[in-house]
Amino acid sequence: MRTKEITGKTVLWIFLLALAFVTLIPVVITILGSFKTNVELTTGATFLPSKWHFSNYADAWDKAHFSTYTVNSLIVSLSTVAGTLLVASMAAYVVDRMDFFGKKIYIGMQSFTMFVAVGAVVLRPQFDLMVRLHLHSSLWGVILILISAHASIFFILLSFMKGIPRELDEAARIDGSSLGRTFWTIILPLLGPGLGVGALFTFRGAWNEYLLPLVFTMTKPELQTLTVGLANLKYGISAASQTHYMMAGACLSIMPILVAYVFANKSFMQMTAGSLKG
Amino acid sequence: MNKTKNATFAYSFLLPSALLTLVLGIYPIAWAFRYMFYNYKGYGTARFIGLDNFSRILRDAEFWDSVVNTFVYAGGKLLLSIPLSLLLAAILNRKIRGRQLLRAVFFMPTVISTAVMAVVFFTIFNSYNGILNQFLIKFNISSSGIDWLGPKHAMLTVILVAVWGAVGNYMLLFLAGLQNIPEDVYESSSLDGANKIQQFRFITLPMLGPVLQMVIMLAIINALKGYESIMVLTEGGPAGKTEVMFLYLYKLFFPVGGSSASTQVQEFGYGSAVAFVSALIVGMISVIYFYASRRMNRID
Amino acid sequence: MKKQLLLTSLSAVLAFGLAACGNSNTAENSKEPSNSGAGSASGEKTKISYWTGDRHDAEFVKEKVADFNATNTDGIEVELVVKGDDFDTALDLSFQTADSPDVIRVKENTIGTFYKKEYLAPIDEYLSDDMKAKFPEMVNLNTFDGKRYSLPNYGTTMRLVYNKDLFAKAGITKPPTTLQELVDTAKKLTAAGKADGAYGFAQNFKSPASALGRSARVIAEMSGFGGFGYDFKTARYDFSGFKPIIEAFKQIKDDGSMLPGVESLDIDPLRAQFAEGKIGMYLSFSSEPGVYSTQFPAKIDWAAAPAPTIDGNAKGASGFLGGQWLALSAKSKHKDAAWKFMEYMYSDQMLTAYQENGYGISMVPSISASAKIPEVKGIEGFLPNQYDGVWPVYPAVAPEGMKSDDAFFKYMLNGGDLDATIADLNKRYNAALDDAMKNDGLKAEPDPGFNPAALAGKFAK
Repeated sequence: MRTKEITGKTVLWIFLLALAFVTLIPVVITILGSFKTNVELTTGATFLPSKWHFSNYADAWDKAHFSTYTVNSLIVSLSTVAGTLLVASMAAYVVDRMDFFGKKIYIGMQSFTMFVAVGAVVLRPQFDLMVRLHLHSSLWGVILILISAHASIFFILLSFMKGIPRELDEAARIDGSSLGRTFWTIILPLLGPGLGVGALFTFRGAWNEYLLPLVFTMTKPELQTLTVGLANLKYGISAASQTHYMMAGACLSIMPILVAYVFANKSFMQMTAGSLKG
Repeated sequence: MNKTKNATFAYSFLLPSALLTLVLGIYPIAWAFRYMFYNYKGYGTARFIGLDNFSRILRDAEFWDSVVNTFVYAGGKLLLSIPLSLLLAAILNRKIRGRQLLRAVFFMPTVISTAVMAVVFFTIFNSYNGILNQFLIKFNISSSGIDWLGPKHAMLTVILVAVWGAVGNYMLLFLAGLQNIPEDVYESSSLDGANKIQQFRFITLPMLGPVLQMVIMLAIINALKGYESIMVLTEGGPAGKTEVMFLYLYKLFFPVGGSSASTQVQEFGYGSAVAFVSALIVGMISVIYFYASRRMNRID
Repeated sequence: MKKQLLLTSLSAVLAFGLAACGNSNTAENSKEPSNSGAGSASGEKTKISYWTGDRHDAEFVKEKVADFNATNTDGIEVELVVKGDDFDTALDLSFQTADSPDVIRVKENTIGTFYKKEYLAPIDEYLSDDMKAKFPEMVNLNTFDGKRYSLPNYGTTMRLVYNKDLFAKAGITKPPTTLQELVDTAKKLTAAGKADGAYGFAQNFKSPASALGRSARVIAEMSGFGGFGYDFKTARYDFSGFKPIIEAFKQIKDDGSMLPGVESLDIDPLRAQFAEGKIGMYLSFSSEPGVYSTQFPAKIDWAAAPAPTIDGNAKGASGFLGGQWLALSAKSKHKDAAWKFMEYMYSDQMLTAYQENGYGISMVPSISASAKIPEVKGIEGFLPNQYDGVWPVYPAVAPEGMKSDDAFFKYMLNGGDLDATIADLNKRYNAALDDAMKNDGLKAEPDPGFNPAALAGKFAK
């Protein structure tokens, strides 16, 4: 029994560590690469930089206008997260808990947007619409379009909603709580893990969005986001890409997503912690 | 309860989502789709050609090859990434040492941008001086290295890269889903003498039901639609070996400008028709999956 | 506890997001009137914008635009917008609004499309006789249906780039001039270099269109065939001229003289390996010297030579790409001001600086006669020689099924019947051509007197 447990533990840890190693190698190569010269990086012959070029970071920071663009990126990402979670959780609540005419149509509509991919082709009509709303040169247009693509978050929240016992709604109703109040005070807090992971994915998606902010800030460079700045790092004084700057810029821009991860991760802890107390 | 009042409430909660989806999601797609009956190159007048684009799809061997590749790619990606991420989530949901760090480690790949991935994975896999082959040769596992991005192995390589990028995502979703299972269920079952595997089979899986069903559904759709990492890694090559459906489609809309001087013709009309057929394929598979997995949707 | 924390942080995020958005929006709203107010107060500044997708000269252009803004006496202020790969998408969308640029950088593969999309305004009325004489008129490159839309500045040539050190090691004295020599040279170079991991030849087949567009194309053009398979004599597509070229490439690959892994090789890793001395030869554009002098400092001695021909007879011209630079937007509200800026950009001083600083090889005869050779190592081999010439523009079509470059690369990998592949390509490309001519108004007329050899020799003897 005892030896069996130890063998089991050993196998488990070998598995976990091996997997962690394989997972991290490309990440480590990215970070190491960000300290190499362009030619060393592109040739790809070395693992460790033959000489550490910390200046890549300083250059990438300046060239991508990090300090200004980061603020814009944060505005876009945080607003998109807030909007997406709000819109998707409200819809998921009524779709899961209530019956009404048009529910199937609504679900069909959301599924449809997930099946189709026409890439940047939809930019033209979307841009047209925003021109009519006079939002074509502001970050609002970007945020609205990003929020509108909430189908997968809706479905994720819907599945989490199913895990929340209906008895809770019923109890709240008997206590005289309105439907809206039940949603805000009972359902949303219990949706924590789903909202956490949804927030993280939405944040990451919005943070990495490139084409939308590019198009909507064409005439307003002061509104550009970090991804637009990062994309510019690629271009140098001659025909080859400046891969070393791209790597350094990418490493810098990962940070905010990791911060978002730390916050989201807290929401995966709550149940375990809660039941321990109880 | 007042039924109309309930309906009013439902519609008011649904309105923001429905309106945004309709105006900024469905309308733009419909706008693009109407060109599927036209011959349109992105400028000038669109010429109505009825169903010609669809008969062209039927004889388009490249497209059907890409559909087959898509199934191989999606199947490989799903078979590896779903069990792996579920297993990781189940392990890292337990109070084992260092689980916070390990969760963060497995999440890391999902934050690396695709543009950077191209460079990194080329560094690893290229057959001339890639890190992997250097390693294999040094430790005598292979005498001359493996042509990872060559015609024989390219598909395997892009699947491995896709799995690398996806496991963290699904692990997090499963982890979040596992939070809804109260700890005391496990406690009482271990008192009953159930071992960890039995617990997983008879408690974790059923209680994860709806989340599991939805995550697999999203994973299927993502796997069928994924093309970005393939685009940066192989551009669908060599000789179409890794060309998947949505990469083929992307190239119709946005032809890859080869040399600086070749003029690219945008196949807007035909692209719309291919987009429609591709959506149909993804939709059909999703619906089949959804009906086949209905049982998971219940928590008993 | 935790739940509350989550809820609080969520609402904080919401509040912050909305507040921040509101801020940015009000800031932007308040900025606009104050800007235009300042403009009118300082006395009728005419604002125009110039959009370019060029990066290699961005610093230089930025400086020159600032000079123009500071010195011009007409109160014109030019805003420079530099874009990247997304230039075409951004331009398309800008033409849907009032925010389109006044001056647009056009290229040989975009000017035709922009002309068809009616983005461009003819510039004939602005051109002085002096300018008309100085800048060559090139049909479908800067002139459409008898009207001029742009003027040339600099162009791009194509060459065989080779590693002189490896050549010396293999005892080869001169670069190959025929396909057979190319195959043999690649073999000898590999034999001499393989011990050090060096190979005779390389192509960037991650994108077959990019690989063949800089290699097979120029060999075909030097040998008298259209570089994209179009025969200007008959106004039909005919890829048979490519047969020996593709066979030679396949031979090089089968001989093992090609760098391993070219299937997934991009152009930058190819250049990096060349700079390291691992590649004997490749074919590419005149942008290479800049790469080796700034980004990938070459560790070896290298040079550029004219591309080989199929059999040693130059029956055509090595493509000199260019013929256009700046164009006037059809939607510009300040065409006169925009033209003043274009005049400034097309001044002798500016064009000379372009060549002498190594941004490109001048295509304006009076400039190339007087401007000095740029101080970039290796550029000498790319300067126009007796073989360079400007090819007419071929009618691009979208055939059903596989593109020619992909079909050729597939043959190189898998073998098969090249004649059948070519017959199939001809059939599909011509079907698409007929369709486009019949339905989309594409023009393609036979030119029985077309002589590709006569294209050469106009830029140097």
